[in-house]
Amino acid sequence: MHALLTLTLANIRSYVRDRAALFWTLAFPLVFIVMFGLIFQGGGSRLTLGWADADSSPASAQLRDGFAAQSGLTLVETSRDDALDQMKVGKVDAVIVVPKGYGETLAATAAAGGGTPTSITVYTDPSRSALVGEVYQAVGTVLGVVNLGGRAPLVVPDGQTFQTENLNAISYFVPSMLGLSVMQVGIFAAIPLVGDREKLILKRLAATPLRRWQLVGSNVLMRLLIALAQAVIIVVVGTAAFGVQITGNLLLVAGFVMLGAVTFLSLGYVIASFANTEDSANGMTSMIQFPMMFLSGAFFQIDQMPQFLQVVARAIPLTYLADALRQVMVGGAAFAPLWTCFLVLAAWLVVCFTIAARKFRWA
Amino acid sequence: MQTQGAVTTAPVISVRGLIKRYGDVKAVDGIDFDVMAGEVFGLLGPNGAGKTTTVEILEGLRSPDGGQATVLGVDVANGADSLKPRIGVSLQTASLYPKLTVVEVIDLFRSFYARPRPTEELINALELGERRNAQTRELSGGQRQRLAVALALVNDPELIFLDEPTTGLDPAARRSLWDLIRSLKAAGRTILLTTHYMDEAEILCNRLAIMDHGHILEMGTVGELISKRFRERAVHFDRIEALSEAELSRLPAVTTVKHDSDETLLYTRDVADTIGALLDLTEARGLEPQNLGVRRATLEDVFLDLTGRALRD
Repeated sequence: MHALLTLTLANIRSYVRDRAALFWTLAFPLVFIVMFGLIFQGGGSRLTLGWADADSSPASAQLRDGFAAQSGLTLVETSRDDALDQMKVGKVDAVIVVPKGYGETLAATAAAGGGTPTSITVYTDPSRSALVGEVYQAVGTVLGVVNLGGRAPLVVPDGQTFQTENLNAISYFVPSMLGLSVMQVGIFAAIPLVGDREKLILKRLAATPLRRWQLVGSNVLMRLLIALAQAVIIVVVGTAAFGVQITGNLLLVAGFVMLGAVTFLSLGYVIASFANTEDSANGMTSMIQFPMMFLSGAFFQIDQMPQFLQVVARAIPLTYLADALRQVMVGGAAFAPLWTCFLVLAAWLVVCFTIAARKFRWA
Repeated sequence: MQTQGAVTTAPVISVRGLIKRYGDVKAVDGIDFDVMAGEVFGLLGPNGAGKTTTVEILEGLRSPDGGQATVLGVDVANGADSLKPRIGVSLQTASLYPKLTVVEVIDLFRSFYARPRPTEELINALELGERRNAQTRELSGGQRQRLAVALALVNDPELIFLDEPTTGLDPAARRSLWDLIRSLKAAGRTILLTTHYMDEAEILCNRLAIMDHGHILEMGTVGELISKRFRERAVHFDRIEALSEAELSRLPAVTTVKHDSDETLLYTRDVADTIGALLDLTEARGLEPQNLGVRRATLEDVFLDLTGRALRD
């Protein structure tokens, strides 16, 4: 146990003192998040509202014109159900429903000079707090015009919450980036491993009583710690700097981070089994990393890819890790159920472990 | 088994008919030798002779394809794990965790053993005190080798393997490492070392085996190896193409004529006779031997005689 921990510490020290490795696994994901965060936050955001008019009266038409006149706001007129469907997948940001009888009630209340105000229903997604604020700001502006002159308000918004599956870009991106980092921590292990073999460090260790499981164990332990450190950094930056709300269970997040780290580490060992030099390990790592990165749905959603690429996307482990992290962290739309993600990652782990156990050479 | 007085001691290393193949090449081709307790035993030979392969089999890092090797009474083919806590190893290329410091690397290796020697003791013994907090990549070649030897001593081993301990070092660093190995020898340690330096083998080894192409050509003490073949001295000078081998071998007292790359060697029973006749011969031809000198035969001559080529090439 002492040897395992000392070796883990030695690995961590070597790693931390290697600036390049540190940059690629810790700073690089952050740079990416900040970059994307600024892209998605910058510029005046346009608001798209689903507009479902069940009243079809002159009064409701007037209200619609009031909303349409707001700058930076687009209305999509449709039925209530369709509007909510569109909101669910993110085509509209919020939905306003004008109930049947809106015009009559409004006229009656206005004539009586008071009484129960009529209402319009506003559906927003509370997990997108910034957006909710913008929607209510617009609603308030328009209703302020309608209510002007009335001593008591004539129309009040009836706020309803509606859980969407679509995420704003940064919320989608932060868990993706975490998945990507975990992948890198895992498969990048191949490079120092091949380096240690090339430098005969592994051979020197083989001449000591140190067991192979201790050697592998220290590597796993070190990579797990780095992956968890990355997860903490990414979650903290995502929530603190970009207002991403983590809705899910953090233990489950940690669980998937660790499963992902071990799976990709075993893939790293597979690379190290076939690469003879540090350079070739570098090349093979990139060859696996970049296609995986772009096909996993971390940047582009899978259903927007051409059919033949979707087939690949459905096979690679990063797809399932990023999907699981999105589901757990921010309640993103499921590409596959969580247990499927778990099983696919575990299957990759078993396959890679088996190959590495047969092919990995110590000297 | 050797009998020393009345006490019979089992050899620390016993090798019989050891074979190791890489594809069609026999890197080690049926060698036998014993190393006794307290002895510094050298495997001497050029690169590719099979020295490192032999040592790595004895260290438990490679499995033999034939023959038997017993180390500290343990058969290495199936007892390597029980052997590892008892041996110390310094590999040919000493590159160890470039980003860790001297102390960190020593402490790392200490953690592998049940009863390691204190870090300070090792650092002092190996004169690494000034560099204790330097990362190993910042060490000089000599310091790095001393660290490699320190790591081989961490577990206070019964047997130490040093594979080419001074290769690539400058003369001062080599001498400092020789002093170190001699102090280990004086402390009664059993050491198996490989080298392709004659002077190193002569200075450090009690006994040695000359290896080439996977075979042991000759074995014994330095004195035995030399006197067995050469009772003569060697007259040497820069090779002169105009002098035929036949002419040279007809010179008085000459027993053997050898050409070692650009040098001619005349082994002779009477130096004065041979040199006088040589000078007469060259003068008659209007030639003058360059770098003429005399020395007693060395291991270099033994190797040349055994293989027909110089060891240092």
